[in-house]
Amino acid sequence: MAASAKTILRGFRRCGVLKGASRVTSLNIARAAHFTYVPDTPPTAYGDTTRMNLVQAINNTLDLTLATDPTAVLFGEDVAFGGVFRCSNELRDRYGTDRVFNTPLSEQGIVAFGIGLATAGSNAIAEIQFADYIFPAFDQITNEAAKFRYRTGNLFDCGKLTIRTPCGAVGHGALYHSQSPEAFFAHIPGIKVVIPRGPFQAKGLLMSCIRDDNPCIFFEPKILYRGAVEEVPTKDYTLPLSQAEVLLEGGDVTLVGWGTQVHVLLEVAKIAQETLGVSCEVIDLRTILPWDTETIAKSVVKTGRLLVAHEAPHTMGFAAEIAATVQSECFLNLEAPVERVCGYDTPFPHVFEPFYIPDKWKCVEGIKKLVNY
Amino acid sequence: MAAKLGNTLRLLRCVARRPVSCRRIFTTSYLRCEERPQFSGLKSDFTYKLSILDPDNEAGIPVYRVMNSHGEMTQDSEDPKIDKETVLKMYRDMTLLNSMDKILYESQRQGRISFYMTNYGEEATHIGSAAALHLEDLVFGQYREAGVLMWRGFSLDQFINQCYGNVEDMGKGRQMPVHYGSRDLHYVTISSPLATQMPQASGAAYAFKLKQNGKCVICYFGDGAASEGDAHAAFNFAATLDCPVIFFCRNNGYAISTPTSEQYRGDGIASRGSGYGMLTMRVDGNDVFAVYNVTKQAREICVKQNRPVLIEAMTYRVGHHSTSDDSSMYREKGEVVKFDTNNPIGRLRGYMARQGWWDDEDENKWREQCKKNVMEAFGKAEKRKKPSPVELFEDVYDEIPIHLQKQMDSLKEHLSKNGDKYPVQSHEVWS
Repeated sequence: MAASAKTILRGFRRCGVLKGASRVTSLNIARAAHFTYVPDTPPTAYGDTTRMNLVQAINNTLDLTLATDPTAVLFGEDVAFGGVFRCSNELRDRYGTDRVFNTPLSEQGIVAFGIGLATAGSNAIAEIQFADYIFPAFDQITNEAAKFRYRTGNLFDCGKLTIRTPCGAVGHGALYHSQSPEAFFAHIPGIKVVIPRGPFQAKGLLMSCIRDDNPCIFFEPKILYRGAVEEVPTKDYTLPLSQAEVLLEGGDVTLVGWGTQVHVLLEVAKIAQETLGVSCEVIDLRTILPWDTETIAKSVVKTGRLLVAHEAPHTMGFAAEIAATVQSECFLNLEAPVERVCGYDTPFPHVFEPFYIPDKWKCVEGIKKLVNY
Repeated sequence: MAAKLGNTLRLLRCVARRPVSCRRIFTTSYLRCEERPQFSGLKSDFTYKLSILDPDNEAGIPVYRVMNSHGEMTQDSEDPKIDKETVLKMYRDMTLLNSMDKILYESQRQGRISFYMTNYGEEATHIGSAAALHLEDLVFGQYREAGVLMWRGFSLDQFINQCYGNVEDMGKGRQMPVHYGSRDLHYVTISSPLATQMPQASGAAYAFKLKQNGKCVICYFGDGAASEGDAHAAFNFAATLDCPVIFFCRNNGYAISTPTSEQYRGDGIASRGSGYGMLTMRVDGNDVFAVYNVTKQAREICVKQNRPVLIEAMTYRVGHHSTSDDSSMYREKGEVVKFDTNNPIGRLRGYMARQGWWDDEDENKWREQCKKNVMEAFGKAEKRKKPSPVELFEDVYDEIPIHLQKQMDSLKEHLSKNGDKYPVQSHEVWS
């Protein structure tokens, strides 16, 4: 029964994506927008740029990888015709059915197949159609991919494996098209977990994941796929993993988020400045594991207050790890308890999504608590 | 009614075969389309008789064998005609493995190593298949395939060092005993989670296909592991993606205490092969030559056709599941004795005796030699120190990340104050 429900849902969403995809999706985003996208400005050092949305940036990264690395292969459910989100559009035609191909519908199979490819010398880029469906592959990720190098004494490794998967709220995704499972994976030594906030970041970070010699999970906030558009360098470039980025400097409160939530926090900082006169420092964590403790701690030493916000549920969400580390590293600097604004400890609901997500108003209330403590 | 319909259809079929344009006779064209199912992914006909496919009515897949239990070749045409030297190596490896098993099993009983799993009764599946492969073919195993490594030249020292987790263990003492691996011998390190290696083997085989390197992958697993979801994924991926991989099932009748009657209801594992569109063979796993023949055939299919092959080797787990298991709790003593008399080592010895290649004197001398060699390796391995505690932190990633570096430093500092409370003396110095 569960399996058939999943199949029906998949069929449904495929139809949705296929028939007038851009119109339907942008309509949904407009209706559900809980954030205003703030485009990145790529450094001039990377040369010529083109306007790309997140899908195009991903596609461009995969394209460059397949073009320059003959061992690279791209596979997953429905990637051959271009993918249900169009991320692998035209790549099969360009690089052949042997290198861009559909697999049977089995997530544990996809990840394990990727581990095998990587072990035997291929650069394996696997797609899990929605992060919500990565759990059947949990065993392969945690017991196999993450531990491969360690348990073999570095005789074998699957460092050339990258798993891409769409994540996060999308306005109407309900329980199984909205999840942000990064915290489950943050507890797994041996893998890297990365989430970009937009097209420029996505290209640079995904390129780093693909080239990194460790198995990486790359979560793509699907609400940004078409909504986020900005200038992206056309050439090959990488952005460093395990480095957070300070997007906005401030002196009173440190705000930390990742993915879509970064855009929420940028707006929150603006509101806080305008209505409360509070100066916020906004940081995009970018890499969940291994995460950049130093940048966060340095900021909190300066501001004395920290708010961490994520879409995933509160209890044992990654904000808990950040909060615990910051209180241990910055105990003497903290002026107020670390504030966590997260999803509730419920499954991700359908019609209640506007009430569920840690939106700007909830974050602003969190800042009030911090400054009035 | 059905018969009448059948006649009408036959008539229409005749009409349809005449060179008549479908466009002109619409009804005929319509019925022609209906004549064979148009559903995608099928190659079957319609049937107008309700019938149920009953597996109980099917004859089981036969078990291929080359020699009988006394080591007599039953059919000359099936004799692989392996030269004397190779046959002697087959026998020596099977018996050396047997000697190592006995000594390491006993050493676990004495608390000298923490864990062990013997290979009793399944030696021929290892050696017969390994002998039919090329050294560069990549092996993914479960844990009861030590004979494959032995065939490829893994030394007694290497086996026993791994079981001790000493400085010479290539796995750096991180895994439990019998989790062997060797890059030089193309044997992917064993891990405990069952069947996880199976879809990985399919992926590795796909990489080989892309490289067009003429190699294949072999993946060993037990009848119990075949119940895991990963086995299903592995078979289906290998078949749909045309992977040159041999799936080698050791069906030894038990998964710990669970007999096959509680593991599956079909005709073993082999019957599943055709369901996935795989070429399939079932073999007598106690007949080293039969195992050799099927594996050789499978290898050829893999590399020439880029097709997966499933082999089910029927055997019997003579020993306990592991040193943590007492199999007399769930099976009769007589059952084990019955199978042990049909053991693969005895059969090969019978063959060799018949050829005049081996006699009692050779046997006694070789057995003594085996024991001596194992005891020597054992003594050396026991004396070696364990690796430095720094190895606890290495290889989690390709490079040690900052947070892990801090944890490593904290252990080092802790040990500098509390070293006397830890077994630091039995480990290499932390430099």
